[in-house]
Amino acid sequence: MRKILTVARTEYLNIVRTKAFIISIVLMPIFMGGAIVVQELVKDKIDLKERRFAVIDESGAMFDVLARACRDRPIKKDGKQVRPRFVPQQTDGDIAVRTRQVRDGSLFAYVVIPKDVVETGEVRYHTASPTSMGLPQFLRGVIDGEVKRRRFLAAQIDQALVAKLGRPIRFGTYGLQEVTASGEVAEAERVNQAQTFGIPIVVMILMFMLVMTSAPVMLNNVLEEKMQRIAEILVASVSPFQLFLGKLVGIVFVSWTLSALYLGGAGYLAFHFSVPVPGMIYVWFLLFQLLALFIFGSIFSAIGAACSELRDAQSMMMPAMLVVMIPMFVWMPVLKSPDSTFATIMSLIPPVTPFLMLLRLAIPPGPAVWEIVLSIVLTTGFTLGCVWAAGRIFRIGILSQGQTPSFARLFRWVFE
Amino acid sequence: MHAVSLEGIDKTFQAHKAVDGLSLAVPRGAIYGFIGPNGSGKTTTLRMILHILHPDAGRIEVLGEQGSRAANDRVGYLPEERGLYRKMTVRRVLAYYAALKGMASRAARTAGDAWLERLDLTKWAGHRVETLSKGMQQKVQFISTVMTRPELVILDEPFSGLDPVNLEVLRDVILELRDDGTTVIFSTHDMGKAEELCDSICMIFRGQKVLDGTLDAIKTQYGSDTVRLRVDGGHELLARLPGVSSVHDYGQFQDVRYDGDPQELLQNLVSTTRVTHFEMATPSLHQVFLRIAGPEAADA
Repeated sequence: MRKILTVARTEYLNIVRTKAFIISIVLMPIFMGGAIVVQELVKDKIDLKERRFAVIDESGAMFDVLARACRDRPIKKDGKQVRPRFVPQQTDGDIAVRTRQVRDGSLFAYVVIPKDVVETGEVRYHTASPTSMGLPQFLRGVIDGEVKRRRFLAAQIDQALVAKLGRPIRFGTYGLQEVTASGEVAEAERVNQAQTFGIPIVVMILMFMLVMTSAPVMLNNVLEEKMQRIAEILVASVSPFQLFLGKLVGIVFVSWTLSALYLGGAGYLAFHFSVPVPGMIYVWFLLFQLLALFIFGSIFSAIGAACSELRDAQSMMMPAMLVVMIPMFVWMPVLKSPDSTFATIMSLIPPVTPFLMLLRLAIPPGPAVWEIVLSIVLTTGFTLGCVWAAGRIFRIGILSQGQTPSFARLFRWVFE
Repeated sequence: MHAVSLEGIDKTFQAHKAVDGLSLAVPRGAIYGFIGPNGSGKTTTLRMILHILHPDAGRIEVLGEQGSRAANDRVGYLPEERGLYRKMTVRRVLAYYAALKGMASRAARTAGDAWLERLDLTKWAGHRVETLSKGMQQKVQFISTVMTRPELVILDEPFSGLDPVNLEVLRDVILELRDDGTTVIFSTHDMGKAEELCDSICMIFRGQKVLDGTLDAIKTQYGSDTVRLRVDGGHELLARLPGVSSVHDYGQFQDVRYDGDPQELLQNLVSTTRVTHFEMATPSLHQVFLRIAGPEAADA
């Protein structure tokens, strides 16, 4: 045990003392915080240039409405212009001229409103800047409103009454109401969408990110020790399994260090913005992170031990990376229906359990207790199997040189 | 009681038998030369002594422990291929390797510093290994092997890459270790160094032991048929003489192996040419090595 901890401690310090690790710790919050600051700073930096557009109004009824709407459209906030001014020009239907005007910049766009627009509802907007959404959305709203008004008028129906009768219901999602001992029914809390969907997504992505950044480090470290012939020195002092286990423990602590920072930061933000986060989610996170790292750390270190060159390792990594990616392919249906058969089965399959069961645990009310217990039992069993098999591969692979690895050979090493 | 005892060890890698029925006993407190040509099974045997590899058959006892790694903390190992963490400082590498042998961190620091001073590396203690020259890295590796004061030290080609000055320093250290009671297994291709340092020699060839004993005993065993000569006509003349099975030409003199009475050889020479030097010689370890593992033996 002492030797395992010695290896783990050195592994941990070797990683956390690297510039890459320190930079990732320091710069990640700076980048994330910086992104928010930059967003805040540039949110008002929209293009305020005047938008001149031609209106080819074959119906003869829309231009005045549009001109009035443009005139009345508020473009200032607190005395400061925050939106571009829209300037309509009524023109004839000479398309060649309009096109040239758009191209030379004297017009931003032109809109063709056909004669029978009220009946057909067909309007065409032509522009060389299709990604600019402000003007077309404005035109759509104004013309749509005027067409509807005219249709109601023609049908002699009171549009205001229709709007009043057609107003949507207010549908709120609440938690369960608690009944007190005295029989009073307490007011339920309204479900917070950010909390309901935000927390599961954040914990799932964070878990994925931490496993993806931590486990492959095992491969690099083992490969480096093998290529630089350090492995032989180490296995003369510790058994290959002690070395392997020490490395796994080391990487778990590296990843937990990152978790402490990121979860701490996320927890602080949640507290700051009054988003209640269940305390148990931290416990589940660390537990499933441990299991995930033992599974994927084992796989990656076995690959590292089996290979003698980085190129071989990279090609063998691909299938392992695909397994890590599985949760990313299926998490959305699980988020939408966390109690479905699909979600239940997927979250009980060990390589993806740490991700999907965690996701389900973060969605209230969470899976049934038997599902949690079964997932932990299955994943722990799978983890032990991975550690055992990878340990067997590691034991032989760490001293083998010059052999191009294959999955058939790795399989043979496991049972050798 | 021996420091290391091997009995009937076999080790096969796929179709290749690397070690075949090897038995040997390394006396305590001696420098035990372990020689043999490339691919003869030396490194495989050393790895089995350290329980890095497991024999297919046979019994291994190291420092009184049989068939387990229990003695490994009392064994220092310097493999032929050096292995140091390039990004670690010299002091951290030494501390780590010592900790893996069970040495307390404070004791490791004290021992490490003392050895660094002894081998003139003190000013490099805080530097990363990658900044050191190959020779300096070699010395750091050597320190990591001996700093825990192991009872048994296994050195696989310890002098490769060293300049003559550092080579002498390390040689002196190895002799001191022996004088302090440490058993040293010294694996090498350098027959001169083996002859200079070793009390006993074991040579393996094609996985089998072909030579084992004290240097004197080996030389006596192989020394009765060698005559050192300087004659007019040189080695070409000598090679034609009846009874001469081989001639090793050193330029100024020749060593011949003669199957018969040396007096007859002398008489034969005197009647044929002018003899300026005639001496009954013991063969060098190098010659014994070539006799066993040279081209003729390899073809056999």
